[in-house]
Amino acid sequence: MNIAGIGVVGTTGRGVASLEAALNRGWTAPGLVDIRGSAGERLPVYAVPPEVLSDKTVLAKARRADRFTRMSVLAAWDALQDSGLAASVDRTRLGVIVATALGPHATTFGFLDGILDFGDAAVSPTAFSHSVHNAAASYIAMTLDVRGPTLTLTHFDFAFHEAVSLARTWLAANRCDAVLVGAVDELGSVMQFVCGRMLRPAADGRIKPFDFSVKPESVPGEGSVFFMLTRDNAGAAYGRLGAVSRDHSAVRSTGQSVQLLDACGLAKNETAYRTALMPGTLTAGYAPLFGSVMTGSAFHAAIAALMLKRQYRYAVPVAENPHGLDLCLETGAAVVDQVFCTRLDCAGRRGTLHLSAVR
Amino acid sequence: MQPVDRDQELVGIRAKLKELLVSNLNIEGITPDQIKDDDPLFGEGLGLDSLDAVEIVVILQRHFGVEVKDMEKGREIFRSVNTLANYVYDTKQGQK
Repeated sequence: MNIAGIGVVGTTGRGVASLEAALNRGWTAPGLVDIRGSAGERLPVYAVPPEVLSDKTVLAKARRADRFTRMSVLAAWDALQDSGLAASVDRTRLGVIVATALGPHATTFGFLDGILDFGDAAVSPTAFSHSVHNAAASYIAMTLDVRGPTLTLTHFDFAFHEAVSLARTWLAANRCDAVLVGAVDELGSVMQFVCGRMLRPAADGRIKPFDFSVKPESVPGEGSVFFMLTRDNAGAAYGRLGAVSRDHSAVRSTGQSVQLLDACGLAKNETAYRTALMPGTLTAGYAPLFGSVMTGSAFHAAIAALMLKRQYRYAVPVAENPHGLDLCLETGAAVVDQVFCTRLDCAGRRGTLHLSAVR
Repeated sequence: MQPVDRDQELVGIRAKLKELLVSNLNIEGITPDQIKDDDPLFGEGLGLDSLDAVEIVVILQRHFGVEVKDMEKGREIFRSVNTLANYVYDTKQGQK
C-alpha cells in the first residue's frame, strides 16, 4: 500500500509539520497533572493541548464530540487533505478504519459515573451516544462524507497493526480505492489513575525506549495518527506500507534500515526485546516525544514515513543505552530504504510494520 | 420580603443555568455572561436542538432536583434562561 497522506494530532501539535518540528527539536519535558483521587500525587503526561482540538471549520458538525472523537476527526481530515486526493477520491470507494486500544474511555466512565451519581433516569444522552467505540468513526464518515465501509477495531496490544492488515485486505479485495486508517487513544482521568498506580511513571519525565527493564518507566500520552492508504500503483507521497508481521518471517532487513521500538510502558521482557531486534539495522524510538501510547506504532509509522520521504534520520530524543544498541544518534540527511516499527506487548509477543521507500 | 428573595434567588439560578448550558452542551465561542436572559435557546437563538432539550432535562434533574415530565409544557419552559429559571424556582417552591 502507498502512504498518500498523513494526519497527526498529538502533544506536539497538529499536522505532519508539527511532528517533524518535534523530531528536530528533540526531547521536551512532559506536563504534570494531579492524579484524581490521590493525595496530591502528580503524574507526568504528554497530553494534547486543548487549543489543538478547537478547529471550528472541520469540527463544525461535531459540537458534541468528545476529545477522543475530535482527535480522530482532525487527524483523518488532515490525512485526506495531505494526500491531495480530497477532491478526486470517490467517497463511495473510501473506507475508514479506526484502531484503538481503550476507546473513548473518558466518556464511557463519565456515562457510568452518571448512572452511579444520579441514577439511570438522569444520564446524559450525549454521554451515552459518545461512549460507544464507533462514535469517532461515525463522526469521521459524516465530516468527510465517506460512503464506503467504516469500522472501529479495538485491540489492547496490536490495534493499529490489525487495522493496517484489514486495510490491505479491503484494497486487495477491491472493496475500496483508498482507506483512511488511523489509531487514537486518549488520556482520561481513569487512565491517569491506572498509570499512576499500576505502572512506573518516569520520575525524571523521560521515557527510555532502550532500557528493557522488567519494570519500564512510562509517561502516558494521547493522540491520533491517520494515514490515507492507496494501492501500490496509485502514486506515493511518503512511501510504502507493506507487510505486518508478528514474527518477522515476512520481513527482511536489506539496504539501509532503521528499526523503531515502541515504549508503551507495559512490555517488560529483555529477552523478547533482544529477539525482536533486527540485525544490521539502526535502532531508534521516539516515544519520549509523544508519550507511552498503546497505539504508539501509528506515531512511529508516521515518523518512518517522514524518514522515507525526506531520506532523513532523526536522532533519538532520549539516548540512554544500557544494552549497547546501535542507536540512531544524529539528525540529518541519510539513505533510508526501510523502516520497521516494532511493538512488544506485555507477554513479549511482537508485531512489526514494514515501511519502504519508493525508488 | 418574598419578592426580593425570589429575585435574588432567580439571579443565582440564571447564572448557574448559563454556566451549565455552556459547559454541558459544549457551546463554543460563547461565554455564560454573553447569554441574555430572554435569548431564545432554540432555533435562531443559541441554536440548540432536540437532543439539547433532553440534555437540559438531565441538567435540571441533576443540578436542581427538578423534573420535566410534561414535554408539551416543556416548549414554554425551555424558551429562554428566564423561563427555565422561573420553572426551577416555582417547582422548588412547590416542593417545600
